[in-house]
Amino acid sequence: MNFKTVAGGLIAATLVAGTAQADKLDDIIASGTLRCAVVLDFPPMGSRDENNEPIGFDVDYCRDLAKVLGVEAEIVETPFPDRIPALVSGRADVGVASTSDTLERAKTVGFTIPYFAFTNVVLTKEGTGADSYESLKGRTVGSVAGTYEAIALEKDIKAWGEGGSFRPYQSQADVFLALSQGQIEATVVTSTVASSIVESGRYEGLTIGGDAPYLPDYVSLIALRSEYGLLNYLDLFINQQVRTGRYQELYEKWVGGAAPDLTVNKVYR
Amino acid sequence: MFEYTFQWRQAFRALPQMLDGALVTMQIAVLSMVIGVTIAVLLAVARNAHSPWLRWPATAWVEVARNTPALFQIYMAHFGLGSFGIYLSPYVALLAGITFNNAGYLCETFRGALRAIPATQVRAGRSLGMGQVMAFRLIVVPQMFRIAFLPTTNQMVWAILMTSLGVTVGMSTDLTGVTQDLNARTFRTFELFALAGALYYCIAKAVMFAARLAAWRLFRY
Repeated sequence: MNFKTVAGGLIAATLVAGTAQADKLDDIIASGTLRCAVVLDFPPMGSRDENNEPIGFDVDYCRDLAKVLGVEAEIVETPFPDRIPALVSGRADVGVASTSDTLERAKTVGFTIPYFAFTNVVLTKEGTGADSYESLKGRTVGSVAGTYEAIALEKDIKAWGEGGSFRPYQSQADVFLALSQGQIEATVVTSTVASSIVESGRYEGLTIGGDAPYLPDYVSLIALRSEYGLLNYLDLFINQQVRTGRYQELYEKWVGGAAPDLTVNKVYR
Repeated sequence: MFEYTFQWRQAFRALPQMLDGALVTMQIAVLSMVIGVTIAVLLAVARNAHSPWLRWPATAWVEVARNTPALFQIYMAHFGLGSFGIYLSPYVALLAGITFNNAGYLCETFRGALRAIPATQVRAGRSLGMGQVMAFRLIVVPQMFRIAFLPTTNQMVWAILMTSLGVTVGMSTDLTGVTQDLNARTFRTFELFALAGALYYCIAKAVMFAARLAAWRLFRY
């Protein structure tokens, strides 16, 4: 083997490797568009205004991200159960969709550090007598299939027994409809959603019936598990959002009050 | 590009749960067919009746059942009736929706089968001294089922596949409900739904096969 062949081989290898290493982050920057999967029936995180334009915390968060990347933001409306298919099939680059970072899910998809944290409350209808989490024992309850609170609520309802049943619905709107009609007696939702729906007055007689004793529901941005470049960038982005006060600003705008702490004491992420 | 690593082991571990779901799916499909066939025969007779009080309601049922989506019918059984204070559980709402749909389609199948039986046969029976009901029961009904049998199995397969719409009204125990729940927990969307699809295929095929066998036994000339 002479020098020419070796050199030629090396150059060829570098070229091939060079092109193959363009990752998702490069693709986003090159394409000029950041496509975010956002759930739009989950106010105040995502919803639509009177002109049917997407609005909410997650929508603004996506636009912030697009801005620092120097690209256009495109909101891809994605129901909760379709977040992974949207990422994997390449319809969206990043999920800005209040995704709880469970270990089970982390086997499939890549999570960033938490960008938001929810606490959960019991939402019920006046006259049902459900006034605390414990009073849900033996009742018919429901929630949005596959959410953090749905999984926790179903587990407790099953453990309590006593004729209680759990119904998973496909969207938040269906849960509120079922609750206002009396099909279910209560649901557990994130406090932000609960207060925004009670305030809106769209469903009569809904009232908050106390806190649900769950751990804070930390939610992360999601991307394909193999896209380390992108995930690293997103981690730094979340850090900067908090550092610059933008996180608090967005929280004030969409929820109000002091934004929840995103760190867990005594451990690193 | 499709960037995803398939992990079939995780999906196969969920197979027992999914098979339980498949049983519930079968149960709903069979119940909806048994009730649906009964109603459909009554509807078919009513649509051929002279009295408009029988004909019109039956026609209205068939028109709505055949010309609106099954999803709409199931949604109406749950949320539609719910707004009038009538609460059907997801199971009952799904069963009611599919039965309503089945009855509408099968009515037309049976009506066609009824038309295919020459009226002269009934007249021959009557002239031998049979009553109207007896002639209908002994001459018309057996032939009607023979003619309508294969189209009916078609509806049975359709009923099985329609049970998957139950998730829209909070159904969690049928095959799609179980799959959706597992999907939410693990995010193994593609494996789980591929497996569910294969199960639906097997169930539908098994039903077709059983129907062919039954037809061969029952309707030999």
